[in-house]
Amino acid sequence: MPELNCVYRHREFGDHLTSLADYERAGGYLGLKETLALSPDDALYAFHRSGLRGRGGAGFPMGRKASFLPKDTGKPTYVVCNADESEPGTFKDREIIEHNPFQLIEGMTIASYAVGCERAYIYIRGEYEAQAQVLDAAIAEAREAGRLGPDALGPGRPFDITVYRGAGAYICGEETALLESLEGKRGQPRLKPPFPAVAGLYGCPTLINNVETLASLPPIMHRGPDWYAAMGNEKSPGTKLFSVSGHVLNPGNFEVVLGETTLRELIYDMAGGLRPGREVKAVWPGGSSVPVIGADSLDVALDYEALNGVGTFLGSGGCIVMDDSGCIVRASWRLAQFYRHESCGKCTPCREGTGWLANILGRMVHGEGRGEEDIRLLESLFGRIEGRTLCPLADGAVMPIQSALDLFRDEFIRVAHEGSPRPVPMTEAPVG
Amino acid sequence: MTVAELEEHLAPIRHEYADPRSLILPALRYVQGEAGWLPPHAMAAVAEATGFSQAYVESVATFYDRLYIDEVGRYCINVCVTLSCMLRGSDELFEHIADYLGLDGEGTTADGMFTLARVQCIGACDRAPCLQVDSGVQLGPLEPADATCLIDDLRAEPAPARYDR
Repeated sequence: MPELNCVYRHREFGDHLTSLADYERAGGYLGLKETLALSPDDALYAFHRSGLRGRGGAGFPMGRKASFLPKDTGKPTYVVCNADESEPGTFKDREIIEHNPFQLIEGMTIASYAVGCERAYIYIRGEYEAQAQVLDAAIAEAREAGRLGPDALGPGRPFDITVYRGAGAYICGEETALLESLEGKRGQPRLKPPFPAVAGLYGCPTLINNVETLASLPPIMHRGPDWYAAMGNEKSPGTKLFSVSGHVLNPGNFEVVLGETTLRELIYDMAGGLRPGREVKAVWPGGSSVPVIGADSLDVALDYEALNGVGTFLGSGGCIVMDDSGCIVRASWRLAQFYRHESCGKCTPCREGTGWLANILGRMVHGEGRGEEDIRLLESLFGRIEGRTLCPLADGAVMPIQSALDLFRDEFIRVAHEGSPRPVPMTEAPVG
Repeated sequence: MTVAELEEHLAPIRHEYADPRSLILPALRYVQGEAGWLPPHAMAAVAEATGFSQAYVESVATFYDRLYIDEVGRYCINVCVTLSCMLRGSDELFEHIADYLGLDGEGTTADGMFTLARVQCIGACDRAPCLQVDSGVQLGPLEPADATCLIDDLRAEPAPARYDR
């Protein structure tokens, strides 16, 4: 399956669209031009008709989310771009920001016109300082050219963007934690409802979307929502970015039409496949917070419904691949350590539960496991964590581990008895 | 760093936020760039410049991994150890760097030049195993020898005026 460069437009232009002039030569800002010819309501309807779903992980229809914002509240309306890309295995937004920042800026301008926002924010993780500087430069250039500023949406119709840097916290990718952080607080999730659409940033109506979602708007508005909706299938239209990493020979980002590519093609044809003699053992197809699947699921089509059909999620599109040299318990332990570290501590089941998961898996890996007793203990924990917290972080911790235990039970039992020696990692020059 | 200097830095961005509380993170990052970490007097300066109590400012600062409430070295070597990096040798990379720096795991070298830390996914799994010096570009894929060179280069470089964190 060929790649389609809808969001990764820079790939058709020498991998680089970081100046406004180059971006405009490549067809940039034609989407905004089409948008400004519509009423804001018609623009919203176009988002809706395109079928675009949120690309950050949850997959909620973008047009519907935007339509939830109340009008005429007397308060300002905000658009916030979630550039906190922290889901393990996910680095797709980084490429948009580094190589095609104006498409994000144009997308935010389009979304802001539709919902009536004059000041938008890009919340970018602190670890992406180099990328934040690309955004700073692009925004300064857009301001200079009048694409942002007092007349950005037409004479006397202002719009501008502020880049806000986080400071190291996975949880700030959860939208309400992000808002807390942007408001100058600890990044702990809020109780929902109210949803951000009604009471978001500073208590005002707020639209929060992922970088990829917003960067999808310019081509949608330029070529028309029907063009976009015709790609892929009815429930999963359009293109999606996948980041592939782990035990593949050519890790990287790939943009595919939803439903037209299989996981096998993504891994073997696009990401270079595995080392000679190795086979796929486990794949976390949508970032680390989704159920892991095994080699018998490789022929699944990459779209929301098909991945649900094999018991997992499309998530963020951060596809982590492990070959048969890897230990599933060790991998699960490493993920449990991640969630323990990143739990914000607000909800007890998550704060305590992620620690229990990490401790049990850790002792199993290190040969200090308690055999079947540890397996039963693990199983008793899942239901005490999942679904009992304010935000999905805890569910994201449980799902990859519970699914791994389901799929590789014999290996878990063996490791619980015997431990797991550290395997030889894959290096640039494969050993042996 | 004086409060006046910090206020001068914040002045051009104040209008971008409906609530001055939003200035706390930018202010913390700015003073950390100056001092390298957040000693109590830096927290106090942020509190005064933003109009919030020092206790509140500290409660915010302690939430974030990349805000340092304890003194760290001239450079923070942040080695990603999450799954994609682990599969490609991050643990071995980390151990090599620790050995080279004479550290027993995470910590700061006796000369105060380097703080070595295991960090969670830094969004560069295509470059696994990867690391970040402070908030610099994500570097990788790294062989142990590459990391050794990097550390030698950092030692040889004149210290930049501000900390990149």
